[in-house]
Amino acid sequence: MSDFPDPDEEYELMYADELELLREAEHSDTAIGLPRRPAQAKRSLDFTSPEPKSSVESSTQQTNIPCSQNSLSTIPEVNKNVPNQETNDVVFTSNVPFTTNECYEVTSIQTNKRTADDLFGDINDIDFNEIELPSKKQKTEEEEDLDLINRIIEGRKLRQLLAEPTNRLQSEIKTSYDFKENVSLNIPRWAFVPLTNSDGERIYIRLESEDTWEKALEATSEQSSLHSNYIGTWEEARKILETKQQELIQEVESQDVQIVDTNNNDTALWVDKYRPQSYLDLLSEEPVNRALLHWLHLWDKIVFKKEVKVKEPQQKTQFSKRAGQFQLTNKWRGKKEVEPEVDEDGRPHHKVALLCGPPGVGKTTLAHLLARLAGYRPVELNASDERSTEAFRNALQCATLMRSVLDAEKRPNCLILDEIDGAPLPTVELLVKWCTATVETGKKKAKSQPLKRPVIAICNDLYATSLRPLRPVSLIVQVGGVSLPRLASRLSIVSQCEGLCLPPHVASALAARAHGDVRAAIQVLSFIKARARAQLNMEDVENVAIGTKDCNKTLMQALQSIFTINDKDPEYAMKTVQAAGEYDRLADGIFENYLTARVDARLLIACETMSWLRLYDMINSWTLKNQNYSLYGALPLCITRCHRVLSSRTPQRIKFPSQAMEMYRKKLELESIVVSVWRGSAPSVALSRNALQLDLLPLIPYLLSPSLRSANVQLCSENERKSVRTCAGAMCDYGLQYIQQRTPEGLYAFVLEPDVYKIAFYGTEERVRPPPAVRQAIAREQQLEVIRRNEEMAMKSSGQTASKVAKAIDLKSAKKSEVKETHIPNHLQRLKPKEIEKKVPQVHKDFFGRVVPIQQVKKSDAVADVISSSNVFYQYREGFNNAVRRNVRTRDLL
Amino acid sequence: MSLWVDKHRPRDLMKLDFHKDQAIRLKNLVQQSDFPHLLVYGPSGAGKKTRIMCLLRELYGSGVERLRQETMNFTTPSNKKIEIMTVSSNYHIEVNPTDVGIHDRVVIMDLVKNIAQTHQIDSSGQREFKVVILNEVDDLTKDAQHALRRTMEKYVATCRLILIANSISRVIPAIKSRCLTIRVPAPTESEIASVLHIVCKKEGLSLPSDLAIRIAKCADRNLRRALLMCEACKVQQYPFTADQKVSEPDWQLFIRDTASMILSEQSPKKLGDVRQKLYELIIHGVPPDMIFAGLLKELVLNCDMSMKSKIASYAAKYEHRMRLGNKPIFHLEAFVAKFMAIYKKSLEECIGDMF
Repeated sequence: MSDFPDPDEEYELMYADELELLREAEHSDTAIGLPRRPAQAKRSLDFTSPEPKSSVESSTQQTNIPCSQNSLSTIPEVNKNVPNQETNDVVFTSNVPFTTNECYEVTSIQTNKRTADDLFGDINDIDFNEIELPSKKQKTEEEEDLDLINRIIEGRKLRQLLAEPTNRLQSEIKTSYDFKENVSLNIPRWAFVPLTNSDGERIYIRLESEDTWEKALEATSEQSSLHSNYIGTWEEARKILETKQQELIQEVESQDVQIVDTNNNDTALWVDKYRPQSYLDLLSEEPVNRALLHWLHLWDKIVFKKEVKVKEPQQKTQFSKRAGQFQLTNKWRGKKEVEPEVDEDGRPHHKVALLCGPPGVGKTTLAHLLARLAGYRPVELNASDERSTEAFRNALQCATLMRSVLDAEKRPNCLILDEIDGAPLPTVELLVKWCTATVETGKKKAKSQPLKRPVIAICNDLYATSLRPLRPVSLIVQVGGVSLPRLASRLSIVSQCEGLCLPPHVASALAARAHGDVRAAIQVLSFIKARARAQLNMEDVENVAIGTKDCNKTLMQALQSIFTINDKDPEYAMKTVQAAGEYDRLADGIFENYLTARVDARLLIACETMSWLRLYDMINSWTLKNQNYSLYGALPLCITRCHRVLSSRTPQRIKFPSQAMEMYRKKLELESIVVSVWRGSAPSVALSRNALQLDLLPLIPYLLSPSLRSANVQLCSENERKSVRTCAGAMCDYGLQYIQQRTPEGLYAFVLEPDVYKIAFYGTEERVRPPPAVRQAIAREQQLEVIRRNEEMAMKSSGQTASKVAKAIDLKSAKKSEVKETHIPNHLQRLKPKEIEKKVPQVHKDFFGRVVPIQQVKKSDAVADVISSSNVFYQYREGFNNAVRRNVRTRDLL
Repeated sequence: MSLWVDKHRPRDLMKLDFHKDQAIRLKNLVQQSDFPHLLVYGPSGAGKKTRIMCLLRELYGSGVERLRQETMNFTTPSNKKIEIMTVSSNYHIEVNPTDVGIHDRVVIMDLVKNIAQTHQIDSSGQREFKVVILNEVDDLTKDAQHALRRTMEKYVATCRLILIANSISRVIPAIKSRCLTIRVPAPTESEIASVLHIVCKKEGLSLPSDLAIRIAKCADRNLRRALLMCEACKVQQYPFTADQKVSEPDWQLFIRDTASMILSEQSPKKLGDVRQKLYELIIHGVPPDMIFAGLLKELVLNCDMSMKSKIASYAAKYEHRMRLGNKPIFHLEAFVAKFMAIYKKSLEECIGDMF
């Protein structure tokens, strides 16, 4: 080896580990894989990967592989450049039906009983010279990536192809090519299959890759609008197909009786039985698989002490310059570009991979398979296990710090947290804490060691609230639904293995029914199989009551379907509405959008629509009021009736229904003003809320804006002062107040609180707002009024206590003077004038009880009263001067 | 109490300004010292509440005017806490159960029972019973009304109910039959004008009779509104002139505005604009039935007789449906759309006839 590795070697160096993994996968399945090079075998000896002998095995195996397979494995190389060439061939012309029909005849009859070897036996004849092999120097990084992906895809297809040649045949029949392009009488320059036609002439038919016929299939399915024109032809074709199928069944049945018998004893679920066993079996999208695998490999340094190839920044810039198509094919790498993949400890930047996607697409399978592939022992923790923080910490410790003793291979653990969106929030927080612990803290405390094993979390709902802390620290890998053709082909593989005959159109119908859910599709297939028939018809699938995937539609999808005509499926609107639910929002959506839906000069459409919406409203509120859901099923009907009225072919922009919500919010806001006035008003003037809202509040702003000539109240006339007082009084009564508030300009302004102007007026509130000076005057007056009222209250209460005391005394006296009069009830009591008692002159008595005559008393008094009788009189009172003392009350000052 | 409405509210049955014979009958009723449950109904601003307060004063003396405001808390069976404001004196309590919406049954059951089950401590001084005033009985849910039935009979010894409603059409017959129904009709315009004169005299102002009649007309036979409008006139301009501007509540103007908008053009676009106006009215708390009534009143002015009856019947039908549903905007807009359709058709026919 020279000092500078040539591009090819460089490529291998970069992807050595991945390639090796692929190889590993192939070994376990003894499948046919990619071409191997001796250079790699040498290199792989350095690896400390779990299966060091793999390369040796591979080389030995390679020799055993039959010749045909060997040649097959070169196909990917060829196909790399084929697509450009072949796209021209797949022009779909309108006269196809006739040509296709002929094609069916020719190909189906003659290729009926071919085995794989027959099919590809001639593949060596392909003229490779014409095809320009890519010059190796041009190979940039993205091309290499593409290569690899293509190779994986091709490898996968070939595996299928080999396993089920008949399936391929049936599918191929469907494709439609230009007749002249693909059949020639001379030996053509493209790949071909020689045939002899009825006249004894030798003809050569083009041999196509699966890739192109799949594209052709897609092209036909995309042209759905033209579909109706060809219905007749399709039907015809189907009939022919089915007759062919019948023949085939008989054949198959005679051949496969034994297989069916053996399979009958098997009790394993099909889902488990046909779980992907190797990387190539995976149904999920290639970028997804690769993203997760790449992430797992980033752990190699810390787990296996193996150097991880990390892309250098220079390459990244190159890559970004040439973005374009490549970015579309694998996005995960584009995302990576922003942040470093590995942190300073040699661990990946994201400590957790978060797989998310709808149920049944194979997330768990993917995680398990890739973990095993990367050399780990998957440890699963799912919703059936206890997930309290304590249990979770235990599991984390067990999984990440320890290693299984019993396991012979001594593989490190990889923790898979299934269904994490159902875990409680503290648990997820613990996980996040665990993951983000760094080495530094680890040295200080033995307890919190940094995470040294990969953790894969799996969830359905990425935006579940409990996952909020986890999202920023994790690598999010979205696993989408499986594409229809791939699911269909997998279904036919399964049925093939089960000895079941599944025509391709039935398979694709099944797949369409499952909406990307592999598990559901396979379950339905096994259910149909249970009816014990060797052949499945379209009717079987269509009539099955179960297995329709419970699909969610969004509100906007439903609205869109209501406003557009769907020719293909008249029931589509109904189905979407039912799938979307949220009928209330839907009704709002229709209400907000119906006016622009169609030209409606006489408003008849509007009347019709509204009548349905009114009916909807009535039924809905009846249902809610009585909690009787017997009529609930009628709600979507009401909505879809609107579809009949409103739908049109012109595309239109549909607004999201937000008006009702906004109005509700505004209403609450204004209502709160009314309620605060209502609560704040004095009990003596308390009104019902309705009267307050309709009569008083609309008029009170007029009452609160007296016209004053000058702002200074002291200068106002008596009348004006009186009107200000009335204002203040009214404000006190109804709990209104002027509050000083700082305006944005920095000035202080008096603002009425609560703001009744908002209630009273419809956008014209500034009209009657009094000028600031008047407001100030009123505010001052109101403060005085408040004090006045408090005073009054105090007076009243004190008066009350005085009267109470008087009453008590009265009662006592009444008791003394015997209760003569019967008690008069309060309401009959009337005020009576107070009786005036005559004063009896006091009688003086001496020590022995004798009456002393008044004269004597007066005399004795007179003796004592010398001072007062004198002309001059002084009296000293110290401490205060009584001369100016006077009682002043607050009310006198107001 | 500084607004004229509050200040000059009569406090004695004998001082009421209209329906005087009814007042005398009420006085006689009370003087027998006992009376049955009452169901007082009539339109807003007719003086129902005033009469009831006069009646209570007649019963218990001036003690009933010592009012206090309290909030009471209840717990629904579903453990929801609700609170309701009550105005009460020592002798009576006034509640508006519809404030708590659909939970009004709980209020009726708990509150009325609570009050009814406690006897007056010192019965010698007062009547043996307390009075519970329930506002807006016609808006009570059926459940609540049924809950009321038995309570009314059971606690008749300790408690009298006075029910206030705008109309008894939505009060169940069982309750109607248990009560003495008293109708308080709205005052006529001349009665309102005379009240306005009296109040102005008390205030020492001179009110031109033309203005009084104009205010009375604008007020829609609602005395409270008339008095407020009169006072607003006074604040805006005094001395009064006969052709002075009378400021009405803004929502009335707004409804009129909406109606003229409907009449000006009939198209889906206009319908969209009208919808915004209707929403405005609803969020300002104008009850949808009043919007219906207001719109109808304005719209039929421009119609001939056959159309009038047609539109009125549609309005009635749609309003009824609206009460069954809970999205008034749908029904209001449906009515407007229907009117537009009918109106446009008739217009087109008119034009067709002309040529």
